[in-house]
Amino acid sequence: MKRITAMSLALVTALGLAGCGNAEKPSSEAEGQAEVLEFYHGYYHEESEWPAAKVMRDIYDDFAKNYPDSSVTFKPIPVENRDDVVNAQVAGGSFPDMIDMYSPAPKSAISQGLVLDLKPYIDENNLQDAIGINYTQNQRDGAIYNIHEQVEARGLWTNVDILKSVGATVDDLSTWKGFADTMAKVSALGNGTYGYAAGQGSLKMMYAYLASSEEGRAITDVPLDEAAINSKAFEEAFKALAKMDQTNGAEYTTADVGNLMADFNQHGKAAVISNGAWNASGISQELADVVQPILFPENVSLSTAGNGLAVASGMSEAKTKMALEFIKYMTSPEIQERIFLEVQGVPSNTTLDLKALAEKNGDPVIIKMAEACSMIQNADIVSSDASYKWGTDVGNAITNALMECANKSTDIDARFAQLQKELIALIG
Amino acid sequence: MKQKFRTLNQLPLGTRIITYFCLGWALLVSLTPIVWLFLSSLKEDPLARPGFQLPESIHLEGYISTFRDLHVMRYFGNSMLISIVSVVISIVMISMSAYVVARMEFKGKRLVNVMLATTLFIPATALTYPVYNLVNQLGIYNTRAALILIYSCSGIAVSFFVIKNYYDHIPKEMEDAARIDGCGYFQTFWHVIFPMARPGIMTAGVLAFLNNWNEYYWASLVIIDRDKLTVPALLSTFTTAFRTNYNGLFSAMVIIILPPILLYCIFNKFFIEALSGGAVKG
Amino acid sequence: MKLKEEVKILLFFKEDEMKQIEKRSNRGISGPEWKRRGFIFVFLFPTLLAFCTFYLYPLLTVFFTSFAKWDYSNLTSPEFWGWTNLFNNYQYIFETYPYFWEALRNSVTWALLGIFVQIPISTLIALAFSRKMRGIKLIRNIYIIPCMISSAALGIIFLQLYSPTYGIINPIIHLFNPSFSENILLMKGPAFWAMTGAYIFFTGTTTLMILGNIMAVPEEVREAALLDGASGFVQDFYITIPMIKNTLKTVSILSATAGFLLYNEVYFLTKGAAGTYSISYVIRELAITSPRAQFGRANSVAFLQIIAGMLIIVFVNLIYELPEICSKLRRDRT
Repeated sequence: MKRITAMSLALVTALGLAGCGNAEKPSSEAEGQAEVLEFYHGYYHEESEWPAAKVMRDIYDDFAKNYPDSSVTFKPIPVENRDDVVNAQVAGGSFPDMIDMYSPAPKSAISQGLVLDLKPYIDENNLQDAIGINYTQNQRDGAIYNIHEQVEARGLWTNVDILKSVGATVDDLSTWKGFADTMAKVSALGNGTYGYAAGQGSLKMMYAYLASSEEGRAITDVPLDEAAINSKAFEEAFKALAKMDQTNGAEYTTADVGNLMADFNQHGKAAVISNGAWNASGISQELADVVQPILFPENVSLSTAGNGLAVASGMSEAKTKMALEFIKYMTSPEIQERIFLEVQGVPSNTTLDLKALAEKNGDPVIIKMAEACSMIQNADIVSSDASYKWGTDVGNAITNALMECANKSTDIDARFAQLQKELIALIG
Repeated sequence: MKQKFRTLNQLPLGTRIITYFCLGWALLVSLTPIVWLFLSSLKEDPLARPGFQLPESIHLEGYISTFRDLHVMRYFGNSMLISIVSVVISIVMISMSAYVVARMEFKGKRLVNVMLATTLFIPATALTYPVYNLVNQLGIYNTRAALILIYSCSGIAVSFFVIKNYYDHIPKEMEDAARIDGCGYFQTFWHVIFPMARPGIMTAGVLAFLNNWNEYYWASLVIIDRDKLTVPALLSTFTTAFRTNYNGLFSAMVIIILPPILLYCIFNKFFIEALSGGAVKG
Repeated sequence: MKLKEEVKILLFFKEDEMKQIEKRSNRGISGPEWKRRGFIFVFLFPTLLAFCTFYLYPLLTVFFTSFAKWDYSNLTSPEFWGWTNLFNNYQYIFETYPYFWEALRNSVTWALLGIFVQIPISTLIALAFSRKMRGIKLIRNIYIIPCMISSAALGIIFLQLYSPTYGIINPIIHLFNPSFSENILLMKGPAFWAMTGAYIFFTGTTTLMILGNIMAVPEEVREAALLDGASGFVQDFYITIPMIKNTLKTVSILSATAGFLLYNEVYFLTKGAAGTYSISYVIRELAITSPRAQFGRANSVAFLQIIAGMLIIVFVNLIYELPEICSKLRRDRT
């Protein structure tokens, strides 16, 4: 019996381990035929739910149709769980041919040399303007691994009617002090109207707060370190936001701003929302006249390239060429115009005159969005969303701390001290 | 005679009160989320008319669009196929090994018990990469077979505990009688034990089915073609980067639980009734 | 009192008899030894195969890499910490990582609540369900429905129910404290219980299993008790419950395990805010959410999770053995 058990164990173990060795990429590249460039993207939604997703898929299909080299086939694949798929592949030492990423190309993939450096191609073809802020923000040690054809352009949106009801104007929101005072007044109205959707929104506001001072900007532009966590600027920014959130009320605090967006965009119940330029498309007709885009206090905006397209290194020449052509295509003025008008995304290409495009188009939503975009681009200080530099775990920890502070029973000083400890541990 | 022991109005007052209280509690607890979910799925904007308020008007848009645009039947088909096949595989596999462990003496029995128990606690994050690789090695990435393989192997510990517990209740005499009648080991299992344990095995099957029906982490990891995905994929389509369509989301949630409810209602007489019919007596 | 003794005698008699039969059948009637072995092997093989292809490699990986530096910088080649720094990952988890102890406390509490709250509730409800009355089948069927909703979907539902602006919890609190305007999911303490409340009462499947076993309790046993005038819950307490002890043990293990491994509720309700981390959530946060892909550290938590999980199973077994051990001692004395 013992021997049989032992043998069977050995057998199945061998079988099991054989299955667990290093796998190769899932190869749909069948033997010797035309090569396939697989492209994973996140626009899987049905047209009825999100028309923009269909537009993006059409843009991809157009590229596939018009690509001159027939020895390579372009195959866009909508994938819901992109990050997990990438992580699993990277852990096995491979990388998808090309992917539109939600989180940054993993450090682990870069350290293994799995991701192509796109910078030489950009420089060679003078695409700096086409990729816009990607060129500076997504440079890591002189290389560019991600290019996002859409920019995450953030400012604030405000409802001037509500401001008026507390005797304030947009100008009152141009300093943090004025902003806090005005929000407190709105909260004091007591008719169900409130200041702003805190939580996710507060985190972005905290980054903007940091960006409004020299010391703060020094922190947000680089990965977080212990000195930054212990700095005066960091403490001040956190506590300022925590205090505002507490006055604003725990009821209006959410980890996902989407939950409270309707309050602002449709019901006119909130004075301010911290959201990107794309929020223009959510505003209801009745409120269109009273809602307008503004900047964060102290004339700050957040403009972030985000992550976007990454290409595997070590592919065949034809496939690599196609992938690079695709990046050029996605950032070209024609496609960028479509993205702006039909997807209502903010283009990365800085050569586009959004205002002119919007006026030609005539849609009031697009005009409003163009207005927001140009404000954000022309802010005195254009900073970026530090979550991308600091990491999602750090972002989560700060958001959790801010959200807890929204409860009146939370002691902000103690919570901040705890947050410092958490962050130091997280980056260690 | 039989009825007497459980017929409520013949029981002491205290028992009756506690029973009514328990039944009331059971209804309250289970109806709260169900009614809330159903009501919300009928509201045009569930957040604007929150709680248990009745909808202003019945808004079936979510149901209609789920059925019209979202290929519900395709997802149902995939889920049914994958869930049922993997439940059958895992339950057959486990009812065999659980029998051996429950009824026979052999060396390493303890080890088998411990091995299966550990599987409960291995986190999905540790499983992800090896299983992903295995699936690729077998060449079944992006196929339904991959999910069937994963679901057949996952959750075996729960099935094992449930089924083994049931075998423990079957009296030894039954087996002995069969053995004396000249049945071999396999025949004893197949003709005597398996039929008697059917209610327990079906309970394990129901649990496994519900898990597979709702599982999404693995599904979204090993299947990338949407036309092969399972029902939970319906939910994600209502959440875009910019908003969540709650009316649609809640409608889809209602639709997703309908097939398991139907199946349960059809099959439930096979377990509770089979059990109370006295298929097993100790 | 008299009844109690009698029942005990009845049960012990049964038990002893069973044990004897067991012994006899293990030696006596079995066929040739090779046939028996072959049968055992064939019947165990599929499960062992599944275990080895699916779980063995991850299990070994978890164990070995919990003693290795393994993160984004050396993803394909985990590097053993060496004997002097063997416990580096554990040290980080125990001493530096801010959420571990909180997570362990929460997860263990949820496991205990599974044993001591969920199981008594399910047993009571199962007993109520076992009575004969009109409409009882309908209630049974309704009770299982919430268990068909995935925990992810339930998480989304409860997020809405707990929301201070459009949920149902704050209006209820307002009845007692009209000025309450907090978000209970963000308050340290209440958040933990709010999260507990989002899953603990949905015991449909456990109740179903217990009910199945109650229904299988032979009528003869009940009849004997009835003659002594015991009925209703008194009868259940002395007769039914001891008879379904094994099932209770099994479902206790399942509930404790489910509580210990709570993940979706944390993810959907709080993302760990207000002291609600769970062990599973910590593992995922270290391995996936952290941009540094700290697999080594995550696996040291995973290893602790496996050990703690096994301890919980041992603990449940102990609880259910306890009365038996006690009464055995008492019997020996007399």
